[in-house]
Amino acid sequence: MNKILKVLILLPAILFLVIGLRWLVDPAGVAPSFGLALSQGLGLSSQVGDMAGFFLTTSICMLIAVIGGHRIWFYPPVMLLSITALGRIVAWLVHDAGLATEQIAVEVIVSVLLLIASRRLPAAP
Amino acid sequence: MSFALFGQRGLLALTLGSLTVLPGLAQEAETLAEAELASASRPNIVLILADDLGYSDTAPYGSEVKTPTISALAEQGLSFTNYHTAANCAPSRAMLLTGIDNHLAGVPNIIEMLAPEQRAHAHYHGVLGDNVVTVATLLESAGYHTYMAGKWHLGSASNKLPSSRGFEQTVTMADSGADNWDQRPYLPLYDQANWFANGERFQLPEDFYSSRFLIDKTIEFIDSNLQDGQPFFAYVPFMAVHVPVQAPREYIERYEGVYDQGWDVLRDERRERAIELGVVPPTANMVSMTTTKNWALLSDERKRYESKRMAVYAGMIEAMDFNIGRLVDYLKTQGQYDNTIFIFTSDNGSEASGPDNPTSLVNSAGTGNMGYHVNYEGLGEKGSYNSISASFASASVSPLAFYKFYAGEGGIRVPLIIAGMPLQLQQGLTRAFAWATDITPTILSFAGVELPGPRYAGRPVLPITGKDLSPVLMGESDRIYADHETVGYELTGHAVLFQGDYKIVVNQPPAGDGQWRLYNIVTDPGETDDLSDQQPQRFQEMLSGYETYKRENRVLSLPPGYSQMRQLFSNALQERYGANITVMILALIVLLPFFIFYRARKHRS
Repeated sequence: MNKILKVLILLPAILFLVIGLRWLVDPAGVAPSFGLALSQGLGLSSQVGDMAGFFLTTSICMLIAVIGGHRIWFYPPVMLLSITALGRIVAWLVHDAGLATEQIAVEVIVSVLLLIASRRLPAAP
Repeated sequence: MSFALFGQRGLLALTLGSLTVLPGLAQEAETLAEAELASASRPNIVLILADDLGYSDTAPYGSEVKTPTISALAEQGLSFTNYHTAANCAPSRAMLLTGIDNHLAGVPNIIEMLAPEQRAHAHYHGVLGDNVVTVATLLESAGYHTYMAGKWHLGSASNKLPSSRGFEQTVTMADSGADNWDQRPYLPLYDQANWFANGERFQLPEDFYSSRFLIDKTIEFIDSNLQDGQPFFAYVPFMAVHVPVQAPREYIERYEGVYDQGWDVLRDERRERAIELGVVPPTANMVSMTTTKNWALLSDERKRYESKRMAVYAGMIEAMDFNIGRLVDYLKTQGQYDNTIFIFTSDNGSEASGPDNPTSLVNSAGTGNMGYHVNYEGLGEKGSYNSISASFASASVSPLAFYKFYAGEGGIRVPLIIAGMPLQLQQGLTRAFAWATDITPTILSFAGVELPGPRYAGRPVLPITGKDLSPVLMGESDRIYADHETVGYELTGHAVLFQGDYKIVVNQPPAGDGQWRLYNIVTDPGETDDLSDQQPQRFQEMLSGYETYKRENRVLSLPPGYSQMRQLFSNALQERYGANITVMILALIVLLPFFIFYRARKHRS
């Protein structure tokens, strides 16, 4: 059971790592999948910096937590992902954004998986 | 040279001027008349460029394909049988539009085939340099309306698009090609089909078919300014018959079964017709290209498929001709035809890169990966990917040797027809040698526009080196280039130097052998009789002339191990997948410490 849980966390961790790196290497290629058009100047700097920061932090924390066995590292990605999901709902309710159902679902499911893992997976000795 | 034939508006203006009695009004009318006269005395010019059209692909040059519009132009104009251009797309377009050698103009090759070592040089970027002025810029400055609808391939950055190079209204395909039915790329090299209109990204209409659409837009552009009395220059670089070879079904059906006898028979038939028409002399022999497969060894199913491939190709040519006819009809309806000069040509010889068997597992997987099918049914129609192989390409250039990308006559000798009522020109055929750089000075001569000086718009520009073809067109001379004058050309080591009736040429592998040869291309256009041993002095002098050409036009030597197809593949990988490969490498670098830590911990436990 724990092995399956580890795999279920490693897969999105690697996916987030790739997305974060794509924001650094090829922002024009990855931006459309987020419904974004690349800005210029400070806007572009914020897009690349913030998106890469978000995904790489999330990914590396998940990897440290699962492989290093340090359960406290599960909490930063849980916070990042769940607050992002919350932000999407606020954007839909308050700012006339579209309801990004698929993205919210992924963020909620991964957050739940991480919370479960933080309880179930054995801590490092 | 002036071609001042007065159109209806010019005559009307003159009449108005002469009838006016009040002095003030008379002066105003005279000014108006002068302006009208100036514009009316200058002809409209339509430059039509087919893509990858072989030497004998149109009826006036020996084809069985029905091209009534092109034939009509040929009948009333002059057809050049010894006209040459570059062996591939963008270099040819650079020379056509500037009158300057393509190496100096920044386009030694298509950008997709340039090696990084070559791109390090400013004149080897594969886009039209700022050191040259286009014919459109010069005509626009002289009061012409300038329009373009079609393939550009001379740079897709905003300052390189035709809207920044002298064209007033444009709709353009920026890359080497694209699908003819949809807005989709035809090579994995591109992530999208990059169409632009007046410098902005452009979405094609739902009912798009390239040849019809480009003529629709050309007519729309011309129509938008027709009433102001200024002449126009319309550049119509078709996508026909570039890969993917596609045509409406009704055109394909007209040629089904026509090619059942195969490529050898077609090559022979076209040679015979070209001789009958006087396009090539009766002495024109042919070589057998090593890349031509044995038709007799094909299964009946394969023969049927190959015949259909060529039928689509023929249908695409006829569809192009039909749409040129629509433009001609429109100009007649609007009373513009009698004041319009037409130039019809091709950018290079026939494309021979189509696979021998597109339905093989590997080839169909490649096209399938791009979302295309290669089924016999529907071949050439929407969603289908079609091409011709080297075998039918050798028939398409009959009786010449080689094809696109090579410096053999089949790669660089193409049709050139110049016709139009404003010209009192010779009709029929001419064997005068002509070169791609001659088109711009000839157009400028038609329009009565001076060639640019050493500076233009505040910046230094290169002088036009092409020659005005008017003396041949007007019957004042039977040749443009004197016997001592040379014209050189190079593409990735394939090279040629023309002098008088002769040519030295080297074609590199895979179809060539890297050996220089000497031919008389007037008596032996098929390049069957190498004269290098019989005329060693001429041969050596021309080899020396080629070295001079290389030096004067800054032709770079090839990087070690360069192959144009390998470079294309490498550039495509880098362009299309380079970012993904970098991401994967970085991801592995990040994951590696975690993996090592995991293995170490497992080992300890």
